Amino acid sequence: MIAAGAFGLDTSDTAPLIANARGMLSRGDLARAAETLVAAMSEADVSRLMVRSDDPFHILRAIDAASRTGADLFIAHTNLPEAHIDAVVKKFGVQMIVSAEDRLTGETPAEAATARIFMMTSGTTGAPKIASHSLSALMSRAKAAMHPGNRGAKWLLTYQPTGFAGVQVQLTAVVGRGVVVAPDERTPAGFLEAAKANGVTQISATPTFWRAFLMVVRPGDLSLRQITLGGEAADQSTLDRIRKAFPDARVTHIYASTEAGVVFSVHDGREGFPAEWLDTETQGVTMRVRDGFLHIRTPNAMGGYVSDTAQPRLDDGWLATADRVEIRGDRAFIVGRDDSTINVAGSKVYPLMVEQFLLKQPGVVEAHVYGVSNPISGQLVAADVVIEPGLDPATTRSAILAACRENLAQYQVPRAFKVVDAIAVRESGKKG
Amino acid sequence: MTEAQVLEHITSIVQRMLEDKGVKAATIEPETELLGGAISIDSLDLAMLVRELEDVVGHDPFAEGFIEFRTVGELAKLYAK
Repeated sequence: MIAAGAFGLDTSDTAPLIANARGMLSRGDLARAAETLVAAMSEADVSRLMVRSDDPFHILRAIDAASRTGADLFIAHTNLPEAHIDAVVKKFGVQMIVSAEDRLTGETPAEAATARIFMMTSGTTGAPKIASHSLSALMSRAKAAMHPGNRGAKWLLTYQPTGFAGVQVQLTAVVGRGVVVAPDERTPAGFLEAAKANGVTQISATPTFWRAFLMVVRPGDLSLRQITLGGEAADQSTLDRIRKAFPDARVTHIYASTEAGVVFSVHDGREGFPAEWLDTETQGVTMRVRDGFLHIRTPNAMGGYVSDTAQPRLDDGWLATADRVEIRGDRAFIVGRDDSTINVAGSKVYPLMVEQFLLKQPGVVEAHVYGVSNPISGQLVAADVVIEPGLDPATTRSAILAACRENLAQYQVPRAFKVVDAIAVRESGKKG
Repeated sequence: MTEAQVLEHITSIVQRMLEDKGVKAATIEPETELLGGAISIDSLDLAMLVRELEDVVGHDPFAEGFIEFRTVGELAKLYAK
């Protein structure tokens, strides 16, 4: 007899759960796959495993198996360089890697497992940052989001499936007896095709995704019940266009962070949030503005980072975000971030990391990476590089761009790329 | 700038993007849907295209908010004056 785990799935349950490239999988299919994995883990005495796949089937069977056995699970992005994966596997003693073909690594766990879920940021040149969560906390977040309209819903998985938001969408489908729909091709046309084929009812995505998606979707293509915008501040024109394209859907924009979870949800279709929400506790979460920055206090903050932290916790227990808030009338607006992070369609890019990557390429002597704004993705990565004298700019440029496409996530690849003679240095000694 | 001139700019910028990606040149017609799959560009390439058009043409049709467009021809119309 195998424990039912946090999902409580039944092998005889034929209700659909995952629509992916291979067709429809039921809750029972997932339960059987998890039982098979539990058996393989038990045979090899595995207490630390990693899943490395964008397929919800592999991600969910790994989470289910981990919860049935109390194992630690590392959820890794498919686009992380091999070297970083190897380093994590060695450092933490990950014994098994789950993907299309599960395999044992031959490592032994560095410490006893405590049923934690570890998620990684997509660092490219630096080591990935690893955040520790408990499955029960992640599940209660999914349950908290479970209002009646979300029961039996069909969710389009627009977020990176291995990221925090992507995992939450998958857990929400499990908890609410819904279906998670994952397209073969993660392009606006591919998302639309999968959404139409499976009768998707809820889409949670970044405002940037929505702007691109609205270019391919036609009236009557989809009957959406719930539309959610997150990851970036939702602007009024995007909210208005969505409302016009899907007049019958409930439109919500949320502010959430990996550290604090969902901090607020706005349903009135107006950008920003009511200023009266500040300094008032709502469902355990309180926000305040200090020196223009948003601070958050929440009882269910995540377990912490195994590596360095992103949102520092202050001595009085508040999380300090780098998001600046402006209050105009009865409304508060998130107006931007006060760090050098480039926000490309909701994904954070650290310029320094891309600079370090560029500087490692043959022929590159200096690199400056910065964000350029545009009406579609918010920002884009731009790079200026200085190359060694005597090199052919055209072939060097092609080689560097090819290396970027091969090693960086698509949102990290510099889309504006110039070979320049020199890079300006400010008086502070900083570039640009 | 006329619509035909903007179309030429769009074509040359897109062809350069495809070349940078190592993808072979595509046929670009006014009715080609930008993200419809016929040309191998993603939404971030499209974001860059819009940014570059602003530089070449000298004005930003999205300054007052986003405007719907789907095809190459519709995008060209936005920039033509």
